[in-house]
Amino acid sequence: MANLKSSLNLRDKGAEYWERSPKWRRVALSIFFIAICYALPFLNNPLINTPGSDFQSVLFYPVGMYVLMAIGLNIVVGKSGLLDLGYVAFFAIGAYTMAILGTKTALNFWEILPIGVGLAMLSGVLLGTPTLRLRGDYLAIVTLGFGEIVRIFAVNTDSIGGSRGIAGIPTPPDFFNAKFTILDPKPYYWLLLTFTLLIIWMVRRMAARRPGRAWDAIRQDDDVAQLMGINTRKYKVWAFVLGAAVAGVGGVVYASQILSIVPDQFNLNISILILACVVFGGIGNVWGVILGAVLLAFTPERIRFLSQPRILVFGIALVVMMNLRPDGILPKKKREHFDPDWHTVEESGEGEIK
Amino acid sequence: MSENVLELKNITMKFGGVTALNEVNLVVKKGEILALIGPNGAGKTTVFNVITGVYKPTSGDVVFQGESIVGIKRFKITKLGIARTFQNIRLFGESTALENVVTGADVHSKSGVVGAIFGTPRSRREEKANLARALELLDFMGIKKRAGQLGKNLPYGDQRRLEIARALATNPKLLLLDEPAAGFNPAEKVALAETIKKIRDAGYTVLLIEHDMSLIMGVSDRVAVLDFGTKIADGTTTEVQNDPRVIEAYLGAPADAS
Repeated sequence: MANLKSSLNLRDKGAEYWERSPKWRRVALSIFFIAICYALPFLNNPLINTPGSDFQSVLFYPVGMYVLMAIGLNIVVGKSGLLDLGYVAFFAIGAYTMAILGTKTALNFWEILPIGVGLAMLSGVLLGTPTLRLRGDYLAIVTLGFGEIVRIFAVNTDSIGGSRGIAGIPTPPDFFNAKFTILDPKPYYWLLLTFTLLIIWMVRRMAARRPGRAWDAIRQDDDVAQLMGINTRKYKVWAFVLGAAVAGVGGVVYASQILSIVPDQFNLNISILILACVVFGGIGNVWGVILGAVLLAFTPERIRFLSQPRILVFGIALVVMMNLRPDGILPKKKREHFDPDWHTVEESGEGEIK
Repeated sequence: MSENVLELKNITMKFGGVTALNEVNLVVKKGEILALIGPNGAGKTTVFNVITGVYKPTSGDVVFQGESIVGIKRFKITKLGIARTFQNIRLFGESTALENVVTGADVHSKSGVVGAIFGTPRSRREEKANLARALELLDFMGIKKRAGQLGKNLPYGDQRRLEIARALATNPKLLLLDEPAAGFNPAEKVALAETIKKIRDAGYTVLLIEHDMSLIMGVSDRVAVLDFGTKIADGTTTEVQNDPRVIEAYLGAPADAS
């Protein structure tokens, strides 16, 4: 039985195949998968089509957006073990930066993007510095509060539209042949995908180096991490700030696609759903998190034909799933190396891609 | 003659009404192995916690290489050059043995998050150097073959050795070992004593908490004895062995002649 189970363990099989592959094959596989991702909007497969909503739009939001944000939240929750229940706040800050600067100044998308990311990071520092001395549940409550504060602040501030939000957000300027219009979600999807790939690449680099080890140590034993000379405060704030930056990117792109935003789009549900993506997919493992986000974003759209009961069905599926695989679909598992000659961190499966 | 690496000056540590340490004075000299012994609950681990900044002493001063380190953050104390192991093994169990040690070696690296993202030359250089140092230390502790295994899956003895390797990786001026031989069989204890001597001979200063008298008498240059939070003796192994207060602390007061 145990033998059967291990032979069916596709994750380990896949990881082993990857590790044994020579560099050219890894590059070829990477290019192949990335190409599929870019070609997704052209697929017209009845299995993955979403009756009731436009498939290409679904790819951008929620699927692409959830994947991006789940990767960002995974830095905070998965890598450094900080429970953040107010992640949507950074998404909102990115989106509002795009909306305000886009409608009130002549700046275009590409100029606003770094400002939006910068503001999200700054708010990460401002929230993180005082609160990250808290642990576990206390931190969760404070971040939960922060998420709500940002939304309620937006509702009550008339100069940024109050509860009516902001309309008429400009689209990004044309990029070579890609025209960003409300009618065509494809360029937005490609833009988001490009950002996502870039972020995955950065996250994997960090995970294999000193910050990754520091986060591992903090997550496992905060006290010992300090006694081993890790400035735990600094690395926790960094995790927060990097997570915030990713959500900021998402917010800016989202606002430029949806053209009008209202505060209620940035409610607690988003924070919880993104966290669910991380936990459901496999906390700490970037591929698991991506899979979780894809499934959690896509399934409710796919079963839209069920109309009213679909959220109930979705909920039941979640509960069943978490009972069957409490660590997520693709849990993080460091395969051990018994080979005495093994001695590079780079090869531990957390190394660089491409 | 030899300079003092660490000085505890009149350290008192109170937890509410309990006095864990009472006016303790202790000097650790450069290049020696000092054993800190005493019955259970004497306050030995509390001394370690005060030195490493886990506790702030109620009164008194901790002077490390001529400077007071009371109130300094724990990670900075480690950077200054004090590293420790733990009585109850506290490894990063989900990380590999190698990663555990590299984490310790990271202390003196200059590159951080930004360097890692952009793969700066300094980051690459430091990663490489720390990896090499970690492997060297695993080899030194005789557990190189465990490099790729998770900390929690190592056999008990190797976990203790790994903790020492991780502490050594921070390149400490003073190494604190909290009962490194706990649970070892006699043969392992002999091997450990050799290792501790090797560590000293490599230029490290060692402060050691231990219960096993034969191990202590075998390795230590000096012995300090704590009893109920008070230092009752301090000297060479022979001096301490013959000190009546030490005998009393361990064996009880002799009954009055009656």
